[in-house]
Amino acid sequence: MAAFVAMAYIVYRIMSGRWDWGIPYLFITTVFRLLSLLVFFLAVMMVNSLASPMIGGQTLNTLLAGLYNTLILHSWVMEPYGLTSPLANIEEVFASFRGSLLMILNTLWQQTFTFLYFLFAAVGVALFLQSLVRMDHKFVGGAFISIQLILVVAAFREVSSVPNFVQFPSDFFYFLGSNVQLLALISFAYLEISYQMIYSYSVGKPVEEREETLKKQLLALRMATRKQDAIERGETVSSTAMSRSSGATVFSFVREAIERRVVGTSEALENLDAVADVRRLQNFVDEILRNDPAARDELTARAAAPSQGYVVRSTVLGSVFRLGCVVAISFLLMNPSVFVALLSLPPGISDSVELLQPEFILLFLVPMILLFPFVAMLIGSLVAREGEIKPDKEEKEKLRKEKKELKAKKRAAEKARKERSRIRKEVRGEAEEKDEWDRAIEQVKQ
Amino acid sequence: MITQRGFTVAFAGVLFLTSGFSFMNFYLTLLGVYLFVGLVVTLPLFAMTANLSGIEVDRRIDKTKVFSGDFLRVRVTIRNTSRRHFDFIEVWDQYPETWILAIGENFMASRIEPGSSIVFSYILQVRMRGRYYLGPTEVVMRDRLGLHYYKRVVKAKTEILVYPTWKDVRRLETIGKQRQLGLMFGAHKTKVVGMGTEFSGFREYVPGDPFRLIDWATTAKKGDIVVKQYEEEKNVQIICMVDTSGSMGNGYPESTKLEYGIRAALLLTYMGLERKDFVGVCIFSDLVHAYVRPSTRQNHMYEVLDALAMAEPSGWSDYETAVSHVTRLTKKRSLFFFLTDLEESPAPLLSAMKAVVANGHNAVVISPFGPWFEAPVGQFGPVEKVLSEAVSEELWERRGKISRALARFGIPVINVGPEDFLPTIIRQYNMAKQRGVALH
Repeated sequence: MAAFVAMAYIVYRIMSGRWDWGIPYLFITTVFRLLSLLVFFLAVMMVNSLASPMIGGQTLNTLLAGLYNTLILHSWVMEPYGLTSPLANIEEVFASFRGSLLMILNTLWQQTFTFLYFLFAAVGVALFLQSLVRMDHKFVGGAFISIQLILVVAAFREVSSVPNFVQFPSDFFYFLGSNVQLLALISFAYLEISYQMIYSYSVGKPVEEREETLKKQLLALRMATRKQDAIERGETVSSTAMSRSSGATVFSFVREAIERRVVGTSEALENLDAVADVRRLQNFVDEILRNDPAARDELTARAAAPSQGYVVRSTVLGSVFRLGCVVAISFLLMNPSVFVALLSLPPGISDSVELLQPEFILLFLVPMILLFPFVAMLIGSLVAREGEIKPDKEEKEKLRKEKKELKAKKRAAEKARKERSRIRKEVRGEAEEKDEWDRAIEQVKQ
Repeated sequence: MITQRGFTVAFAGVLFLTSGFSFMNFYLTLLGVYLFVGLVVTLPLFAMTANLSGIEVDRRIDKTKVFSGDFLRVRVTIRNTSRRHFDFIEVWDQYPETWILAIGENFMASRIEPGSSIVFSYILQVRMRGRYYLGPTEVVMRDRLGLHYYKRVVKAKTEILVYPTWKDVRRLETIGKQRQLGLMFGAHKTKVVGMGTEFSGFREYVPGDPFRLIDWATTAKKGDIVVKQYEEEKNVQIICMVDTSGSMGNGYPESTKLEYGIRAALLLTYMGLERKDFVGVCIFSDLVHAYVRPSTRQNHMYEVLDALAMAEPSGWSDYETAVSHVTRLTKKRSLFFFLTDLEESPAPLLSAMKAVVANGHNAVVISPFGPWFEAPVGQFGPVEKVLSEAVSEELWERRGKISRALARFGIPVINVGPEDFLPTIIRQYNMAKQRGVALH
């Protein structure tokens, strides 16, 4: 939370003087002005186009157009925003449209960027607040990108206060203390810490959820069984809010039974199978819980809950280690002097102005970034296969034997069939043109 | 592997880098570089620690053979045998799609310390008979920030044999108890005159009768020598021939002709065993998949269940092969219940039936009629409706012919639908018992 507040505050400070709070309202009204202008122009054009064939290919006369504009468009607030008197003829409409369109588009262009700052800030804050509740990486990522997009837009508008270097520093400590690095580090730290928090949350949460789900399942099962017992005894059963929330929504097995309308209705007794299923499950669970003291813990996987202390300690250490690595490696990638010195490049290249361009880092960035997955792949190929399963010799032998037996059986059956078929042909003689069923009956008669 | 979160970071990195290049701004460029470096900097370390050989997964179940509809507790233990901390692991234990997760979750996500273990369990409702596999267990390992993950399958599958549903038997028991008639709607004893203890009646003496059977009082009254007769209880021998050809698999899931056939065979075996009759089961299609000889042994029911559980609809019906296999192994007079849809060529069927009768056996064909097991005609459009009616008529006509042909061997063909399949087999069995067909 502190990281986000720091990041957002620094961005706010960088953009100070540009947060005109009236702009969002003005931007929206300008958009409506533009829409109003376009609709009015289109309406006038359409009416004139429709009317001109009826009056001999001419434009509407002043009176008609004036009446139309006054009575129809003006009363329906269709005139361009800012006009007070009706436009009496088509030429006036054209002139007004030409003048207004350029003016409105220009205003819109000026206001759009400030509006975007507000929009991104609002989206960023909203997603951040969501991330506090829902602990999802999408909200964290969204909040991070939204806040940074303010600076992207500002950089596009060439706002001078956006942090930048004229030339990337070669002094690591100067780099560490620079505004550019501080903001980038805080922004990255927000992302890093948020993801670590999500990890801590996701490690402990499944166990809690699992326990909660199990409680609900057992409760739903118990209630379904009791309800059925009550129905069988002829008592009336009311559906409580508790039974609806814990039973029908969370427990698929009972839910399925409810959907099949077998639990909680008087027709239930007719469908013995489904009712018996719920009751048998209840008995099964009761028996397990009675006979095995560890059964409940196993169903909830309680033993899986990790120690909080270790999670917090390792999270802090892991984050510090990662941040340190990221800053150091990034500095090396962005500052070509180390690599230039290592490669002993000729003066023509090492003194080149191209080395000072941001794009130059791609030369080191791409191979360096690809190097990590490559190393990981090498390590993975050495260690990962150990876990894979291959069918053992005994299993293979069993399968082979089964196949062999089946083949032998098939061969024997085929042989016997051929023999029978031969005998049948001999008895029957020539094949007759007759339905095979009738022929079979004939044979029986004989 | 990069996660969705990782891709978001990469996207943001590209956005800031390109903005920095475009607007000649080092701050945006630096931020982009931070994001890219942050994305990959701990990747080699993660690859090194994500060595799954340190994770052992053990799955335990209460039983490996269960009835369809029963509940099964699955316990999964995850052990970290290494000296590393696994920051975040997700464990997914997979179960067959047709089964229902009744209680608990088949998923667990946590951190696991070195040398420690995590146990979680869940309860499944087993559905649909057959051979199923629990597992494999997928272990997904994520780094702390959730930017990368490794996924591995670390536990082999556990085989579970699901027997056909026991609900018919349970229902039968319930109804039997309710009626207070003893077993199976009241037992129908098969009585023959012989050496039993229950008095049956009198008859005239014929030379060779033991003198101890002469009833002197009645002889004195009648003037002729009369002997007493006693009833002897006998058991019948039944063989249930279950056709598992492809066409038997038609119908709604769990309500196919084959499923009903299997339920019928199970019910028949249970009833037979309860009344000390000998019941055998043959599972066949174009070859004999399994044959459990008639018996009253204690574990006979389980042998039958094993055979029925594995039945799969495939191939075509070769009655001759099945009959020849069974008659070769079973010499005693038996009553054959054929549970087949009769959708194969008639000649081999008739030939097989001939062989049954020629070997001194009796037979009854209980035949599920295909259209009654498929979608109701009301659900079809006009074209499908006409076609379905035409097919039904054609099939019905064929059945008429085959019934007439089999009637000549004294073999009745009973057409059944889903509603009357099980009652029919119970009725036929009781009738056979009453008539004393195929006495053992």
